[in-house]
Amino acid sequence: MSLHSLRQDWFSNVRNDLLAGLVVALALIPEAIAFSIIAGVDPKVGLYASFSVATLIAFVGGRPGMISAATGAMALVMVSLVKSHGLDYLLAATVLTGVLQVLAGWGQLGQLMQFVSRSVVTGFVNALAILIFMAQLPELTNVTWHVYAMTAAGLVIIYGLPYITKAVPSPLVTIVVLTGVSIALGLDIRTVGDMGKLPDSLPSFLVPNVPFNLETLKVILPYSLTLMVVGLLESLMTATIVDELTDTKSNKNRECVGQGIANMATGFIGGMAGCAMIGQSVINVKSGGRGRLSTLVAGVVLLILVVFLGEWVRQIPMAALVAVMIMVSIGTFNWGSIKNLREHPKSSSVVMIATVVVTVATHDLAKGVLTGVLLSGFFFAQKVGRIMRVTSKTEDAGRTRTYTVIGQVFFASADRFANAFDYKEVLDKVRIDVGRAHFWDITAISALDKVVLKFRREGTLVEVIGLNEASSTMVDKFAVHNKDGADDLLLGH
Amino acid sequence: MNNEQIILACVDSTAASDAVADYAAWAAHKLQAPMELLHVLDRHVELTAGQDHSGAIGLGAQEKLLAKLSEEDEERTRAARETGRVFLNRLRERAVASGATSVDTRLRHGEVEETLAEQQDRSRLLVIGRAGSTASNQGTGLGKHLEWVVRSVNRPVLVTTDTYSEPGKVLFAFDGSSVTRKGVEMLTGSPLLKGLSLHLLMSGTSNAQSQSQMEWAVQLLKKAGMDVTSEIVAGGPQDAVAHALRTQGFNFLVMGAYSHSPLRGLFMGSKTSEMLKDAKVATLLLR
Repeated sequence: MSLHSLRQDWFSNVRNDLLAGLVVALALIPEAIAFSIIAGVDPKVGLYASFSVATLIAFVGGRPGMISAATGAMALVMVSLVKSHGLDYLLAATVLTGVLQVLAGWGQLGQLMQFVSRSVVTGFVNALAILIFMAQLPELTNVTWHVYAMTAAGLVIIYGLPYITKAVPSPLVTIVVLTGVSIALGLDIRTVGDMGKLPDSLPSFLVPNVPFNLETLKVILPYSLTLMVVGLLESLMTATIVDELTDTKSNKNRECVGQGIANMATGFIGGMAGCAMIGQSVINVKSGGRGRLSTLVAGVVLLILVVFLGEWVRQIPMAALVAVMIMVSIGTFNWGSIKNLREHPKSSSVVMIATVVVTVATHDLAKGVLTGVLLSGFFFAQKVGRIMRVTSKTEDAGRTRTYTVIGQVFFASADRFANAFDYKEVLDKVRIDVGRAHFWDITAISALDKVVLKFRREGTLVEVIGLNEASSTMVDKFAVHNKDGADDLLLGH
Repeated sequence: MNNEQIILACVDSTAASDAVADYAAWAAHKLQAPMELLHVLDRHVELTAGQDHSGAIGLGAQEKLLAKLSEEDEERTRAARETGRVFLNRLRERAVASGATSVDTRLRHGEVEETLAEQQDRSRLLVIGRAGSTASNQGTGLGKHLEWVVRSVNRPVLVTTDTYSEPGKVLFAFDGSSVTRKGVEMLTGSPLLKGLSLHLLMSGTSNAQSQSQMEWAVQLLKKAGMDVTSEIVAGGPQDAVAHALRTQGFNFLVMGAYSHSPLRGLFMGSKTSEMLKDAKVATLLLR
């Protein structure tokens, strides 16, 4: 890395980066608390994680200006682990997630992102927004009308204030105002302090208190694998979004390794696993943040605020957080995708919706994405399979017929290929011209074999011409009909 | 081979670019080489104004932001493109009027340092102003790009003053280093400074080593038919050069540049930048 790019990454936009980092830090606090609550751990776990991940990613990440911290996507994966085994197993799983992510980065697994289609990304984003919203519902059920009023007032401030001034973060104003009102009126509503411990000191190094044996690994590995996948998916997706917004490039493999390093370190200071955040990154870019400095400022300011303003943070009513999280959910959801449902090809819409449905049903973004990717592959195969055509015409007064195959022959089109020939026709010779076809797999080759054998059974001489390079390697490897010994099986060649 | 190599003049919309074009035309005339006026449209993607600190994201936040940012970029680039063409054409006419035979223009997107690092392969000499339109001229009087441009290329760079003055008396800050020795060899083979009076100045104590180095340089340059004088003066190079420039009416300086790592420059300050700042004449930096 040259000194020039170092300067570019860090110091080319100092004023805006500082301001944007500040805005993001303020927005991160409610999110980190909310995501801790989703995961079922003390707010301090999410706050330490957000500090640690944001700060480290500033140095080791591959996408300057992208915000990483404790996230909803990751929190959702952890819920059952925390419930069944407790915080220490979560910390161990976080460290292991980091290790796996570093390995993934070294193994250039970022490349696999090319199989994640646009529809899957949209589905992921929408599912995430829905899950974040759903996670707020417990705070809105079985509560007094005060909470609804507070939440509604919060949303009014969040979306109304920017019309008056864009100089101060409206989510912050929401939190300050609602906290003030709640204290002034002495309302008996749930506050952040009720949700668990807040940080009262700077984080310190600790080794997760778990037995280091195979049993532990068996417990945490499945979670770590899912966390790795979800974390990298969201991070790489967000990186792509930031690339697009800022019209600059990012280093995806460096980002994978960076996420891993950040998570490993985070596990050792008592934080939960995190990844990049779509909503916060958009806020950062919108506020003018472009460089690594914005990310660093976000992390450091967050910690300072939380540690020194802990007493005040404790009194923030949950309703205020809910309002902020509803904003995040609304801002994350891709509303254009609903309009696009009608305009886009049906298969794309099905992939998007399937990703959303599976994710929301399982609360596991990895499963949703896997479903989406498999479906896209399935639809793609189906579509390409249609690009196959067999035409024919007779020669020699009906003694010879030439079949011309054009297009892609593989598992999805092999049956159609085999059925395109008329085996009952009485002919002396059949010529199959595959010069303009591609035989992709052994299914295609065995279909060709089947066709040749069937004609030979009828006593017809078969000639296959124009097997192109790609097909002929497949034929050489797998086909029966032109290998030595095959003649014995056949009625003349 | 040199026929293909051009004089690359890096210009922008500031008045100082007139001098850049003039010096480039002078060099093009002397070297009988084609020149090209290059302007880089640097969008400064990292510097986009962020006035919105509301931190609120609503319906279609990402799409709206993307639309807004690309619209801003588009507008800025389009405006910059038009003005770019206008002043490039004006400078071309100016260069042709002052005697350059083949003058081309080129407008490119990108960053200045990056673009020059890419374009230098076609060029034998880079001409650039002391400070561009983006520089705040307070303090150093040198553009913020200058050091990085010079560092990112391996061609000689002619750093011009705000106004043109036909090079006549040339001061060569010779220190016996490999860079300046290579510079001497280059000058013997190049018609750039032919016909001008050349004064070799070495600073420090005069001893056998410095004398023999100086003797070598003078002999070589004389053999090439140049009008050479030499002098070894006591003191640091910075003071010696500044003094000579002040008192002896030189209007062109040749010196080595940025031979130390940028890291060292960060802590110790760069001698080259200091000398450039002091020198109020066009300066040829040897790389």
